[in-house]
Amino acid sequence: MISRHTMSRRKALRTGAGLAAIAAVGAPSILHAQTRTLKITTWGGKWGEVMKATVLPAFEKEFKCTVSADQAFPFVPKLQSSPRNDPIYDVLHTNSNEQWNSFTEGLVMEKITIKEVPNVADVYPYAVSDKIVGVTIFTSAIGLGYRTDKGLATPTSWKDLADPKLAGVRGGYIIPVNSLGQAHLMMLGKVYGKGLTDLDAAYKALEALKPIKLVDFTGQMEKMLLSGEVSEGVIHDSGVYRYDGQNQPVDFASPSEGVLALEQVLNVTPGSKVKDLAFGYIDYMLRPDVQKLLAEAVWYSPANKKVKLDAKYDAKLLTTPAKVATLIQPDWKWYNARKEDIDARVTKILKG
Amino acid sequence: MSFGVDRSIALRHDARRMAAAVRSRPSPIAWLIAPALLLFVLFFVLPFGVMTAMSFFSSNPVSNPNAVLTTRHYERFIVDSAGIFHDALWSTLRIGFITTIISLLIGYPLAHWMARMQSRLGHALVLMAVIAPMLTGIVVRTFAWMTILQDKGVINTLLISWGVTAKPLPLMYNEFGTIVALVHIYVPFMVLTLTGVIGRIDERLEQAARSLGAGRLRAFAEVTLPLSLPGILAGSLLVFALSISAYVTPSLMGGTDVLTLPMLIAQQVGTSFNPGFAGALGVILLLVSLAIVVAYNRILARLSGERGMA
Repeated sequence: MISRHTMSRRKALRTGAGLAAIAAVGAPSILHAQTRTLKITTWGGKWGEVMKATVLPAFEKEFKCTVSADQAFPFVPKLQSSPRNDPIYDVLHTNSNEQWNSFTEGLVMEKITIKEVPNVADVYPYAVSDKIVGVTIFTSAIGLGYRTDKGLATPTSWKDLADPKLAGVRGGYIIPVNSLGQAHLMMLGKVYGKGLTDLDAAYKALEALKPIKLVDFTGQMEKMLLSGEVSEGVIHDSGVYRYDGQNQPVDFASPSEGVLALEQVLNVTPGSKVKDLAFGYIDYMLRPDVQKLLAEAVWYSPANKKVKLDAKYDAKLLTTPAKVATLIQPDWKWYNARKEDIDARVTKILKG
Repeated sequence: MSFGVDRSIALRHDARRMAAAVRSRPSPIAWLIAPALLLFVLFFVLPFGVMTAMSFFSSNPVSNPNAVLTTRHYERFIVDSAGIFHDALWSTLRIGFITTIISLLIGYPLAHWMARMQSRLGHALVLMAVIAPMLTGIVVRTFAWMTILQDKGVINTLLISWGVTAKPLPLMYNEFGTIVALVHIYVPFMVLTLTGVIGRIDERLEQAARSLGAGRLRAFAEVTLPLSLPGILAGSLLVFALSISAYVTPSLMGGTDVLTLPMLIAQQVGTSFNPGFAGALGVILLLVSLAIVVAYNRILARLSGERGMA
């Protein structure tokens, strides 16, 4: 009887190998069951460096999870092509215009409230205004960047960009592909016409800005300003302030008509399987210490009212209710609904 | 007797079975072609099929249950109420044609020289020189051209400092700059294709023509050039296809003066989030390109006296 239950050496080896194979195949799923993964989108550059080095490891440790961060644009088409009940991202980080596109297609939630994210209680009103889907965690101010070595007066109005002296050395964006260009177009409607939605006035003013150097992303505008290819151009404050202390002859000016908001918005996908973790991540990103770290790393204005920045940053960024009141938030829902017509019109205006 | 007949019938049946078995067994060539065919199906036929299907839907049918079948993306292109889509198509083809012609004009003499070069070392060195630019990414090469051609670039800075011109010349953010960069990027493709074909042309044919009284130019025009037409066709098609599908270089070098279909497609996918219209533009670009390729093939075939070269 005993001999019948005794394993031969070969059989023991075979069984052992089988068990090892099962363990090897099964281990990741067991691990997965224990450690949840939060899938997010995030920026690259300095922001990405700070996120990878400090912010995300601390979040993973505290929430006992892993974060899979996608830095490769474009995010929305990837989300569009993934199943709604198993989206490629749990948290979508984009600018406001893309959040509105995603919301229109049902890819993200409409509002993030105090109930889900307690730190929403401490944000400035613009962060959760009716112009926002999701919640704003930071904002930049879109205004005018200029060279300080070209004998130019500090710009005080958006109209200064139309100064004939700047012909060929003023800078803007390829409007169909850049939200700063789109926001600037709306601002032209406000400055030269009846308001942000006065497209006829905006088109006329855009025509008057020719010849203008156009780029498709802000990094390129920074390079053009630094090289002197452009003397004055539309840019966000962080795109200029990040060269603070590097002895570059560039500065940022906030026009008297107001600065446009370039919001960094976080939102949760309705089909996310880890919604509690996603809300936890947004809450974490709104914590004063995390906000301070990131704001000072990339010169973004924090959305949390309680954040106290060092004097150098506090002097330039939008950190008081009075400064925040100068922010103008475009109606991206309105713009996106007309984007195809606007794209065609501005392409014709700017071509040639 | 009957045994003999039965046996011969059985043998015939066996032979037929064996022949059928051989016929049904894939040839070794088929096995060799299979990976390439699989790649073609996976990375061209399948994506193109999906793209074509998407172009007939109002939105993504996988993620949006309300998506309906429609031809509105094609109607939008055909009607072109905005007046930019037909311009973009024409601009794409024009840039493709000019880039191909200039690449051919630069590439042919170089390829001819390389093919006829006696020195192995010399051939290897020239080949290295031709291939060297391909070792750098297209984005890097385009940025290099930007530093050369921009208003504050090498050429304009020199011209202004020498007093040749007071204002910078418009060397980029237009079709000129785009074509310059594209030619630089695609000339190696033309040279490598032509070198192989010209190298296989028997030099003695040209020598025979010259011994019969033809001058150097006539011998080239009547012997070498017609025999190298397959290379011209292959190189031209390669460069044309690459030029009309280029995205990075026209985007960076063209500014707002250049709008090509690949740029419009990227715009539709990346910022307008309209994959249906992007798909329709892709299908239109492919169909127009195919029509041009067929026409070009026929013209060259007629010139060389052959039927269907590619």
